[in-house]
Amino acid sequence: MLEISELRKRFAGGPGAPEGKLALDGIGFAVRPGEMFGFVGANGAGKTTTMRIVMGVLQADSGSVSWQGRPLTYEGRRRFGYMPEERGLYQKMRVAEQIEYFGRLHGLSGARAAQATSELIERLGLGERRGDAVEGLSLGNQQRVQLAVALVHDPEVLILDEPFSGLDPLAVDTLATALQERCRGGVPVIFSSHQLDLVERLCDSVGIVSSGRMVASGTVAGLRAAEGGTLRVVVRDPSPGWADGLPGELTAEDGRQVLLVDAAGDDQEILRRAMKAGHVEHFGVEQPTLTEIFKEAVA
Amino acid sequence: MNALALVARREISTRIRTKAFIVSLLVTALLVGAAAFAPKLMGGPDSYTLGTVNSQRLPLEAAAPETEFTWKAFPDEGTARKALLDGDVDAVLVGGAKVLTDGEIDQELGVLLQSTNREIKLGASGVRIEPLRVESVGADTRYQAARTGIAVVLVLVLFMLLISQATMVGMGVVEEKGSRIVEILLTSIRPWQLLGGKILGLGALGLVNLVAILAVGVAASAGSGVATDFPPGMPGIVAGVVVWFVLGYAFFATLAAALASLVSRQEEVGNVMSPLTMLIMITYFVAFYATSEPTGTLATVMSMIPPFSSMVMPVRMAAAEVPLWQVGLAFALMAAAVVAVLSLGAKVYERAVLRTGARVRLGDVLRAK
Repeated sequence: MLEISELRKRFAGGPGAPEGKLALDGIGFAVRPGEMFGFVGANGAGKTTTMRIVMGVLQADSGSVSWQGRPLTYEGRRRFGYMPEERGLYQKMRVAEQIEYFGRLHGLSGARAAQATSELIERLGLGERRGDAVEGLSLGNQQRVQLAVALVHDPEVLILDEPFSGLDPLAVDTLATALQERCRGGVPVIFSSHQLDLVERLCDSVGIVSSGRMVASGTVAGLRAAEGGTLRVVVRDPSPGWADGLPGELTAEDGRQVLLVDAAGDDQEILRRAMKAGHVEHFGVEQPTLTEIFKEAVA
Repeated sequence: MNALALVARREISTRIRTKAFIVSLLVTALLVGAAAFAPKLMGGPDSYTLGTVNSQRLPLEAAAPETEFTWKAFPDEGTARKALLDGDVDAVLVGGAKVLTDGEIDQELGVLLQSTNREIKLGASGVRIEPLRVESVGADTRYQAARTGIAVVLVLVLFMLLISQATMVGMGVVEEKGSRIVEILLTSIRPWQLLGGKILGLGALGLVNLVAILAVGVAASAGSGVATDFPPGMPGIVAGVVVWFVLGYAFFATLAAALASLVSRQEEVGNVMSPLTMLIMITYFVAFYATSEPTGTLATVMSMIPPFSSMVMPVRMAAAEVPLWQVGLAFALMAAAVVAVLSLGAKVYERAVLRTGARVRLGDVLRAK
């Protein structure tokens, strides 16, 4: 289990802001093996700072990161896979050569690095590009190489900062599949994203961060349950005033009336009154989307 | 293979196949080769055509054995004058008493004619003159011209190699920092491995360059015949150059890496490295001055103070005999300076290379815990 607890970080201020900026204000969460954790939050909320601290690229002012019950050290991090927010590849190096190089830096033997490189190139659909210099690749292909660099040494944990940004749907699928495979193999995967539909589709659990604090976290289903659904009732040609005294919000549209009400209330009473008033076309609880949960959480 | 060697190998393998590397190697080798032939091409005329009118030839060959003399006999002064004006002859000896020239006489030829003439006339009247015996009480200066030539070529080669390799180290550091590759690299290897590998790799390339240039220089000198003028102990001078290059490179490259790690964009590299470039330029100027005054006070003192010694000492060693204690002292001081710069530079690099964004102030880095 990867545990991040009580991280605090204040960036030194400049002449204009002597206070500096409080980037992390005690953020904490845990990711289990085989869990895909979606890290969401507005720009500047602290996602990248958290990931950089986990990877040891940045030092926290206080707080701790532990892996398998022990404080995370340099040796531990060497077995992590990392994709930084701003992509970093040698522009003039060839694709296969580059992936192999990073594999070897992580301690793989020449033969193992070459084999892992070939497999990844195949898996990520880079076969025709293996001898090309990185600078000649499309953004999507560069991103695939970047992911290959993070995966080449068969990492124990994956930390990916915005791995899907700027990708077309096909590339998103390729990358997502590769991540899901690793995840099924027992690797905890943390990735940040602004594409909430994607996070909702891929992730077992989600953490919503705002102003350097974790404001909501848990499984997507759990967050939905906590948020509660909205009961949506559509009645055709209802008798006027049927919803008087009921909570919620009533709107009318071409002969129908729509009632939206918190699903936590007495839905049976509402159903009885609706059926008495007219023809009930729709009666059901609608789950909030992650976007709605997110907006609610950071509001 | 350990990380240090992996990083060094990458530096070498990615640069060595670039066109720039191969072209610059060829061009420098060509220039050095040309320099080896230059004395042959640019030396003064070593052949004269002389005319005689009613006169005997003078035994000039005895006085100047390396110079070639061609003699032409003219029937009268008129034809001789015409030949002079046409440029067919350099001077005409008339009746053993007069020399006709077209304008000023070539200085060397004038002295030769006068002294040989005097000797012949004195000899004829029975006076024998023992030639003056020349004995040097100072250093052996027979090879001075060749020594100075070698020193001038060396100073240029050292300067070019040091500044280009140091710049390459700086650019490489910023390439990694600016593109954030360094963030991935430093989660798998230590900063000193990354820095050390880069310096070693680019240094090895510089050494390849240097050795190639030296080999071309020595081979071309042998080919052009210039090598016969070389002083004894050339192998020692060449080996010394390699050692001093290694020391100078280690010093300047480490500084380049430390300075470059303060900035995040390629456009800022030149600016942040300007103090270093200045330092190399000053070293170069002093070393160049030392080629003409290798035993002067300035050259002597600067050849022992790091980092100036890295260029001034090899130049002095080529240009003149240097007392062994001075070489030893210069080496010890420079080696100490390299160790100091390595430890300081590694510290700066380690602290600054992950601080992307605005330029990091050197003071902040050094003050940090």
